[in-house]
Amino acid sequence: MSFTITQDGLSKLVNEWLARGKRVAGPSRVKRDCILYVPLQGPDQLLLEDFIRPANSLKEFLFPKHERLFGYRINGNGVELFELEPPKTEQLLIAARPCDAAALPILDQVFNWDCADEFYNRRRQLTTVVTLACSAHDDACFCTSVGLSPCAERGSDVMLVKLDRGKYEVRCHTEKGRSLMEGRLEPSDQVASEPLGPEKRFDPAEVREFVKHNFASAFWQSEGLTCLGCGACAYTCPTCHCFDIIDEGNANEGARVRNWDSCQFSMFTQHASGHNPRENQPARQRQRISHKFDIYPEKFGEILCTGCGNCTRNCPVGIGALSVLTEIGHGEHL
Amino acid sequence: MANIYKPELVKVIATRQQTPDVKSVKVCFQDSGRANDFAFRVGQFGIFSAFGYGESTFNICSSSNWKDYLEFCFRKVGRVTEALWRLEEGDVIGFRGPYGNGYPVEDWKGKNLIFLGGGIAMPPIRCAIWYALENRRDFGDITIVYGARTVADLVYVDELDQWAQHPNVRVVRCVDPGGQTPDWKGEIGFVPHVFDRAGGSSANSIVLVIGPPIMIKNTLPILDRMGIPHRAVYTSLENRMKCGCGKCGRCNVGAFYICKEGPVLTMEDLERLPSDY
Ligand SMILES: Cc1cc2nc3c(=O)[nH]c(=O)nc-3n(C[C@H](O)[C@H](O)[C@H](O)COP(=O)(O)OP(=O)(O)OC[C@H]3O[C@@H](n4cnc5c(N)ncnc54)[C@H](O)[C@@H]3O)c2cc1C
Ligand code: SF4
Ligand code: FES
Repeated sequence: MSFTITQDGLSKLVNEWLARGKRVAGPSRVKRDCILYVPLQGPDQLLLEDFIRPANSLKEFLFPKHERLFGYRINGNGVELFELEPPKTEQLLIAARPCDAAALPILDQVFNWDCADEFYNRRRQLTTVVTLACSAHDDACFCTSVGLSPCAERGSDVMLVKLDRGKYEVRCHTEKGRSLMEGRLEPSDQVASEPLGPEKRFDPAEVREFVKHNFASAFWQSEGLTCLGCGACAYTCPTCHCFDIIDEGNANEGARVRNWDSCQFSMFTQHASGHNPRENQPARQRQRISHKFDIYPEKFGEILCTGCGNCTRNCPVGIGALSVLTEIGHGEHL
Repeated sequence: MANIYKPELVKVIATRQQTPDVKSVKVCFQDSGRANDFAFRVGQFGIFSAFGYGESTFNICSSSNWKDYLEFCFRKVGRVTEALWRLEEGDVIGFRGPYGNGYPVEDWKGKNLIFLGGGIAMPPIRCAIWYALENRRDFGDITIVYGARTVADLVYVDELDQWAQHPNVRVVRCVDPGGQTPDWKGEIGFVPHVFDRAGGSSANSIVLVIGPPIMIKNTLPILDRMGIPHRAVYTSLENRMKCGCGKCGRCNVGAFYICKEGPVLTMEDLERLPSDY
């Protein structure tokens, strides 16, 4: 016994949310070869099947690429600071990949240890996540190596698992998910079979051991030398969260904003003296892998990676975390 | 909405040009209630903003005993510091903080203190020196060795004389070879060598050494020879920062977030971290 929803039922849900002025975002084909999570204008833009995953991640709906933190206005000697657009629109993230949803509880910790980032928290409260279990994977996927799976529940309010074309089993994981689906589900005898995930590719504990003891290893040189420092890996990563804070405006008025940043950029750690602790791409690659598999685990007890494979698919020179991680796992560094 | 990125407004009450490219600025909170409540520990830092230009991280270089104002001192190196350079009395800027751990001054009670600073590293040491002088009975002998590239690059020079007036305080000033003027009466040489030559007691000492990496590197063998353990040697790191609260992902050395767990740490701590600073 299960509960199901049809594609028509989902379309109706999308229409209702949009009609109430709320936001709905999900995978959509924005160009011939490019599928992204984007805000939807209507259910026909929502793409549910026949692709691996979007090239971006969900994080931009909670932690936008560009966000105004407050405004300033200057009159003579006086300065006035004021709040700008605190997040207030409810949003539905629909047909999210489980590896994207799993990143949200991970980001929650970063934005809340010590002090709370209310920009992130408000959006998070206003967000409902409907995941769609993956029915296919490619060579870049490695969720099973980091403790997740094609139907992992983490970060998901309600999960859809494909039954037949256009029909989905619905599994509610949270109260938010249950109230979203109330009155929309049909009972059914069909139960979806557990989709198969990719084979395990490496053991994160081994990666952690390696990065702990090989800070100066030549391995990083060989991995990092071809890196362009473009940051595509970090920008498309569901869990990378580094940002920069700058002012946009003039000497009379403007706003303080934060923009996504990346540890792969050459200026990221440059001191004013000119000294740069991470002088080259190998050092920056090492930071990225160490942060995900050693530093974050030490701080928060879990890995800063959900195995989505975006860094591998989107890297213009074929690096991506997966090849680094499997090489470490296979002892190719030795 | 509580906004951790929105600074408080502070008014500039004085500025002073210390060297051709270093200025110090005194500010006080616009909100008088806040001025009374505000407390910090020497060694902590603030994030200061010039609206329209952005934010910069500076140590608070006034003593935590001073209630009338906060002071910071900066070198003009880029966008924000160029804007701060133009500040005048009465201007309003932003302040977030205090951030970071500060010096464990309680643990330093009963010890002799050795302060070693190079160039623009004086401000983060200055607050600790004033704190120690204001709580003079808590500490033993105080040795201060301060150097800069040239005579013109020394900051807070008049205070060096004031400090030297205190009992059991020795102030040694120096400039790099070639940086002296004809009437220079201080030492000539690099801080570590000058400190070595100056000699002095090492027993029961706490050392605070701040300066460029090369200065710190050359100081350590001397401290080793004096038998000062690395857990008694403190420094303050200046990794580039943005958020100040462990979120922007910029300041870490291994799992150590300088903005939260630093910027002050002992050499013993530092040696346990990857050399990513
Ligand atoms: C905990 C801590 C305490 C500190 N305390 C002090 C202090 O007490 N006094 C002090 O003077 N400083 C201190 N600093 C350093 C200070 O924060 C920096 O000097 C300051 O932020 C520089 O800001 P800026 O905007 O003027 O420089 P930026 O405009 O950021 O530029 C600084 C330098 O970075 C380089 N740079 C930046 N952007 C670019 C680019 N796009 N292309 C090429 N090069 C670039 C240049 O070399 C430039 O000169 C401290 C730092 C930390 C982390
Ligand atoms: S996407 Fe590839 S080339 Fe670009 S920064 Fe990441 S690893 Fe380097
Ligand atoms: S300054 Fe942002 S994490 Fe430390």
